[in-house]
Amino acid sequence: MMRVTAVIALFPDLSESELVGWVERGWVRAEGGPPDWVFQEIDVARVRLIHDFRHSMAVSEETMPLVLSLLDQVYALRGQMRLIARAVEGQPEDVRTAILAAIRG
Amino acid sequence: MKDPYEILGVARTADEAAIRAAYRKLAKKHHPDVNPDKPDAAVRFGEISAANELLSDKDKRARFDRGEIDAEGHEIHQQRQYYRDTPGQERYDPAGGFSQEDLESFFAQQFGQAGRRSDWGATGRVRPGRDMQYSLTVSFVDAAGGTTRRLSLPDGKTLDVRIPPGTEDGHVLRLRGQGGPGFNGAPAGDALIEITVAPDPRFHRDGDDIITDIPVSLKEAVLGTSLEVPTIHGPVKVSVPAGSGTGTRLRLRGKGIRHGHQFVQLQVVLPPGDEPELAAFLKTWTPKGTVNPRETV
Repeated sequence: MMRVTAVIALFPDLSESELVGWVERGWVRAEGGPPDWVFQEIDVARVRLIHDFRHSMAVSEETMPLVLSLLDQVYALRGQMRLIARAVEGQPEDVRTAILAAIRG
Repeated sequence: MKDPYEILGVARTADEAAIRAAYRKLAKKHHPDVNPDKPDAAVRFGEISAANELLSDKDKRARFDRGEIDAEGHEIHQQRQYYRDTPGQERYDPAGGFSQEDLESFFAQQFGQAGRRSDWGATGRVRPGRDMQYSLTVSFVDAAGGTTRRLSLPDGKTLDVRIPPGTEDGHVLRLRGQGGPGFNGAPAGDALIEITVAPDPRFHRDGDDIITDIPVSLKEAVLGTSLEVPTIHGPVKVSVPAGSGTGTRLRLRGKGIRHGHQFVQLQVVLPPGDEPELAAFLKTWTPKGTVNPRETV
């Protein structure tokens, strides 16, 4: 759990207003409210990623919502795939074999 | 590390703009978070970042070109945690997580009506509960001495997590039976709690020993003094013997983690600003011993 000042201290070139802008645009879902935003570990990892996009890769501000939307869909699908894989794993051998056969067509 | 020009795929004569463009192109392609399926992306991206760091710094690049420094030492800095490896991504799930309705419609779409969840229940199959992942950040001192933390779960329940003394950063605690419920009599899953230890500028850890750097003035080092030093068990008085130097290590027995010790490393700091009297004294001063401090260099 970190506050705004602790998060911007992780980056030499990230201002408080830029970070708060990301939160206000919903790119980072910090908890709490202005000015006492609270960042969980996943939010900090996301700040790092957005920082990479904006500062290292120069992805434009207008393109960011598209990039993040696609990224979140990929991660959500991966999470769902994991859940399904785990559910399949918990099935008896014959069911697993049948599912695998069906997937392989 | 390989040749940074080779890594970025630029000529040795490339200008700053060409290097930046090459770096951005490669970073977009190889960033680990856009390649969640490729474990080696982190290594590749680390190389690219390190090459860029070296070549985008005019001074470092010139020294590298002249052969004064090599590419080593520029590759360690990418030991960071990526989004793809961080638990809790569900927070950003556009559909707000995987609900039963989602599961039903997923199966209805993928496998036709036969895949509906209500059919699963009818089979009465035994399914163990799933493991739940949580993360918890504790201070350096709490991790070193051990502590108990209360974790609030998304379903409103709480879990008291005992963090044993000496828990290391990244350690995962497994609480059996505290995860998702099992179905049809199967056991519940486990709660997996990854511990993040927040760094503390006062302490470094070396196994069960704690290292602390303490600055002392020249006067204190030469004449000896008594200091209060922070330890993970609270502040402790330490006497610094006369004639201590930078690198002198004082051992605080039993003040480390479990049976470890704390080591205080002294850093002698010269007085800031002009000290004409000190300079005048040193000019006339002949040391008793004749030790060459650079003997081993």
